[in-house]
Amino acid sequence: MILIVNVCRDKLSEMEFVRPLAMLIEDHVIVHYSKVKLADRTAAEKIIIAGTALKDFDYLDGKFSWLKKTRRPVLGICAGAQVIAKEFGLKLEDFALIGPQKVEVVKENRLAEGVFNAYFLNTKIVAGCEPLAMSNGKPCLFRIAEKEIYGCLFNPEVLNESVILNFIQ
Amino acid sequence: MKLGVLYSGGKDSTLALMKAQKYHDVVCLITVVSENKESFMFHTPNIDITLLQSQSMGIPLVRVVSKGEKEIELGDLKKAIQEAVQRFKIEGVVSGALRSTYQASRVQRICHELDLWCFNPLWLLDQVELLYELLEKEIHAVISGVFAEPLDESFLGKEIDKEMIVKLSKQQNPAGEGGEIETTVLDALIFKKRIMITDSKIDYARFAGTFTILDAKLEDK
Repeated sequence: MILIVNVCRDKLSEMEFVRPLAMLIEDHVIVHYSKVKLADRTAAEKIIIAGTALKDFDYLDGKFSWLKKTRRPVLGICAGAQVIAKEFGLKLEDFALIGPQKVEVVKENRLAEGVFNAYFLNTKIVAGCEPLAMSNGKPCLFRIAEKEIYGCLFNPEVLNESVILNFIQ
Repeated sequence: MKLGVLYSGGKDSTLALMKAQKYHDVVCLITVVSENKESFMFHTPNIDITLLQSQSMGIPLVRVVSKGEKEIELGDLKKAIQEAVQRFKIEGVVSGALRSTYQASRVQRICHELDLWCFNPLWLLDQVELLYELLEKEIHAVISGVFAEPLDESFLGKEIDKEMIVKLSKQQNPAGEGGEIETTVLDALIFKKRIMITDSKIDYARFAGTFTILDAKLEDK
């Protein structure tokens, strides 16, 4: 089972950012970040932290300290990637990427390869991380050292479903 | 939250509106009327019917006419949204975008520039599921344009009912997300009166055609 962590403040955003992931992942449970319990995390094989609307930043005040303790692989998408960055002491910088952009994989990894177009809805990038892929000269896919924890600043459910499928396999 | 809905008068923007209304206060509809039939963003047959739809729903309409020149028309959309902010104090915008990253990203950028929330409640929704949701929400939409083989003249002016959904389900894009069909909504749960077409015409040639409403009025339900 995959735990999908919903970080949306608004129900309409859930339809846009959480439902598409749920449609891709047959065996899943959705829990809002404010209600994620140890039992939810341990019952899951893997965890995906979903994205949210551009104007929504409530999640940055959420409690995600469990990320440092979990042994489950985690994929953070957009807002989810920002949460991971924050929790592991990486810096968030303002930089808007909106719409389809070219992405180039710069380090071999199990989520993506080559050069492809990806859909971005992001106003913050992560500095100080070791990038797995770059877009517009900025890291857009990264991994926390020695952990199976990935941050993806584009929304792979739109144009790159394989990133999600590779993660959950 | 006070929201404005980007409204073309078709099935997607009507469904998006109804979803938004469940959680927020939809205070206006925003329509860009494009004079360019090739517009990627806004061209829709029967766009003028939004005047009657607005009246029927009791939701005011912000209407802006655009020449429909590529990218410049985005300035017209921005002006329309700014007018909605000024007149109705909207804090966010709702669109019926389903899969088009071209349209969705442009609306997202404008909302970001204007510091507004942007909601796309139909985003990546399964197209057949969407068609059945129209029936569930009693959205009566007719096909007002066909633009791809094998959709022919027989589809024009026909309502999207169960039988039509079966036919459309055989297409690559059952809900017309690739521009294969355009629709016009004549009635829905949120309409206080239904739209009665009193005059119309069909133009069709080689798998491209439109069902144009020449005259219509509101009638009691």
